[in-house]
Amino acid sequence: MKFLLVILLLFATNKSLQSQDIFDAQSFNLKNGLKVVVVENHRAPVVAHMIWYNFGSGVEEKGKSGLAHFMEHLMFKGTKKFKSDYFSNYISKIGGSENAFTSYDYTAYYQVVPSDKIEKIIEMEADRMTNLTLIKSNVGTERKVILEERFQRIESDPSSLLNESMRSVLFPNHYYGRPIIGWKHEIENLLDSDVRAFYKKYYKPNNATVILSGDITLKKAKKLTKRYYGKIKKSKIHLDKKVSDPELRTSVFVELKNPNVKQPIWKKIYRVKSYNQSIKDGIALDIGLKILAGGSTSLLYENLVKKEKVFSMMGAYFQGFSKGDGYVYFYAIPNKKLEIKKIDELIYKNIKSSVENDLSMKRFEIEKKKYLFDSIYRMDGILKPAEIIGEAISAEISLEEIENWNENLVELTLNDVQKALKDFMENKNYVLGGLDH
Amino acid sequence: MRIFLIFNIFSFLFFKNVLPLDFKDLVTKKGVNFWFVEDNSIPIISVSFSFKGGAYLDPIGKEGVSNLMTSLFDEGVEGMTGSEFQQSIKESGMKLYFSTGKEKIDGTFQIVSSNKDIGFELFHKALNLATFPTEEIEKVKNQVKASIKIDESDIPTLASKKFNESFFGDHKFSNNEKGSMESLKKIKRKDIISYKKKNLLRSNLIIGVSGNIREDEIKYFIDHVFGDLPDDEINFDVPKFNDLPRGEKIWEVETPQTAVIFGHRGLKRKDKNFFAARIINYVLGGGGFQSRLYKKIRKKEGLVYSIYSYLSSYHSDGLILGGFQTQNQYVYKTINLVKEEWDQIGELGLQKTEFEEAKTYFKGSFARNFTSTLSIANLLRIVQYYDLGKNYFNMRNKIIDQVEFGYANKLSKKLFNSDNLFFLIVGKPE
Repeated sequence: MKFLLVILLLFATNKSLQSQDIFDAQSFNLKNGLKVVVVENHRAPVVAHMIWYNFGSGVEEKGKSGLAHFMEHLMFKGTKKFKSDYFSNYISKIGGSENAFTSYDYTAYYQVVPSDKIEKIIEMEADRMTNLTLIKSNVGTERKVILEERFQRIESDPSSLLNESMRSVLFPNHYYGRPIIGWKHEIENLLDSDVRAFYKKYYKPNNATVILSGDITLKKAKKLTKRYYGKIKKSKIHLDKKVSDPELRTSVFVELKNPNVKQPIWKKIYRVKSYNQSIKDGIALDIGLKILAGGSTSLLYENLVKKEKVFSMMGAYFQGFSKGDGYVYFYAIPNKKLEIKKIDELIYKNIKSSVENDLSMKRFEIEKKKYLFDSIYRMDGILKPAEIIGEAISAEISLEEIENWNENLVELTLNDVQKALKDFMENKNYVLGGLDH
Repeated sequence: MRIFLIFNIFSFLFFKNVLPLDFKDLVTKKGVNFWFVEDNSIPIISVSFSFKGGAYLDPIGKEGVSNLMTSLFDEGVEGMTGSEFQQSIKESGMKLYFSTGKEKIDGTFQIVSSNKDIGFELFHKALNLATFPTEEIEKVKNQVKASIKIDESDIPTLASKKFNESFFGDHKFSNNEKGSMESLKKIKRKDIISYKKKNLLRSNLIIGVSGNIREDEIKYFIDHVFGDLPDDEINFDVPKFNDLPRGEKIWEVETPQTAVIFGHRGLKRKDKNFFAARIINYVLGGGGFQSRLYKKIRKKEGLVYSIYSYLSSYHSDGLILGGFQTQNQYVYKTINLVKEEWDQIGELGLQKTEFEEAKTYFKGSFARNFTSTLSIANLLRIVQYYDLGKNYFNMRNKIIDQVEFGYANKLSKKLFNSDNLFFLIVGKPE
């Protein structure tokens, strides 16, 4: 089979993989400013439709935390044309799936449906961008649901409560320090009128990106998005509320003690530059942290879990897809009782000696290879590519930058990684956390 | 990109013609049987496999041994330390995951097709040449212990654990697959080796494969990985569940929100009424935002964020289970509403539209399994595991169509009865 050979050649060397578009996505804009991205994949007669609004809890006024997420829940309450739960019922009876999620910088809705039903889905998603009927009693009941959600996700989970508190210290000024779901007392006081105003102000085509991934052609995507989304008027407001945080001058240790906690955990979160500020620096730090603490082959794991047996598990990761700063999250689970501050000293000492002595070319090359393989796995499926593209675009990274992401690896050197980790070690913008009983 | 374009058109024709799913039932030279779909739309090969038995075959007092074993497959093989082996896995782009269930061990292996030689070689080593070094056993034991302790402070996980302990009583399904602090202490290296020798057998094995590889090649690789496992017969029958309890049990924990798990007997997967029961449950508490439990208890009353019920079906028996979390003061109100909905469906059955829409849901949703090589491989494995038949993919729509409205409602009456429900409550209900 000829085509198979071509494909295999294409992936045979890293070089060819690096210089190739990852998703082979196409994109266009409607006149009203709506951005559309299409990732064709005709393996199965199924298509994923996602809409990413490029705002999340970040646009909430002070005192109204949780409003963006509240709005997300209310988007399922029906419009003039498609009343009550017509939309969800339609998705269910055609065998589709749907959901939505809110973050600091985005609010997203998606459906995965048989491809012959995509027109109706686009029609209904476009419809609820402007025609939502917000009934007062719905707002009251949904507030109760959201409070239960907060209790489920945060209040009854000691580890999440600790994270929430740590973030509020790490981001004292930025909205990243406020919980996406909102503070309990503020959720309780969100009004029907707040929701209406929020909806009218932000749900506009020029604040959104539609991603269609799966069994759909570019031509059809153009026709359908224009037909339904194209009718909606753009808004005049711009969303560039730039806030940032001061350097942290104090060291803060946040502790949560709860008798239900049976296993103490050490955590540390650093505020770092995101991909939005520099993709290259972000990748250097990401790869560096993978060498240092990314899983069971990492330097710190080998030293502290395998050799010295201080921890049963430990690890770290970088989250860099955000409009503002990103963060690095570290955790360790001690085998024996150990003071949190002692753990911190031990880990810092290990990071330091690893960065100075153990960053080998071999480890660097292995991580680079792994990085490229991971990007191949991301193409297997239809929702995954849409999620990755949507999250990156929400962090103001262009489609072109996403497609050419791996080219950054060609020029990346071990020196870059070393430098990124050295800067990281100097970083004083962190907060220490301890979970204990 | 032109190459991709040509390629897309090809896969388009290929798949449009073969849906629902054109797989091959293959046997290797050494006699290993597996189902296979060649899919060249992406340079990945996915293998999904199960060994029957799982945690059920853990010896009494040594609970958790099967889970420990699977966690140790990459912690050292002949000629390589754990660290070396894990580095090689990483370098090859291979992924290998295991999960131990109540009556089976599931595994998935994936490799980028340009690295298939090295990938299958490492897979072979993990499954055949693992050395289970004592030091690594201790390390993994500590990890499992930590994760058991972490589970203790997660109320839904704790509720599920407590539910199993009370609900299954003397049945081995009452055990935690991870084992307990006490049982982990007792497990020795020889126990792990013995579990492997006795239970990881070809006669016990089920495999599904999908991806970018030719039939002759994959036959060779499957042989290399699985062909030398012992071919001994193993006979075990997981007994049915006896005397399932009813009523409720409270495990008190200081928390603002309580977690509740509930259930009663259901159907085994091979039961001829399984699909009818699945349709009824979809209406009662199945997925999406359309179930009666969701509409009544979340949407109308605002008492929960999430509420669900599902069929938990095994080879010889089955259950209908459900769960929710709510603030302490709403626990009994919510439990009563669950009982009302349960009996409503038990006494009056479904409405005609609900019934028809659930049927179209199951027909329409099946194609979502065909969107990745891994989901296809998983599907091939599951159909073999439950012995649903080689023609299942062609028969599935017919099976759904054949469920009659009147019949489903009769079954509903037999299956759903709130008097039989057992509620395990973790928290501080008021």
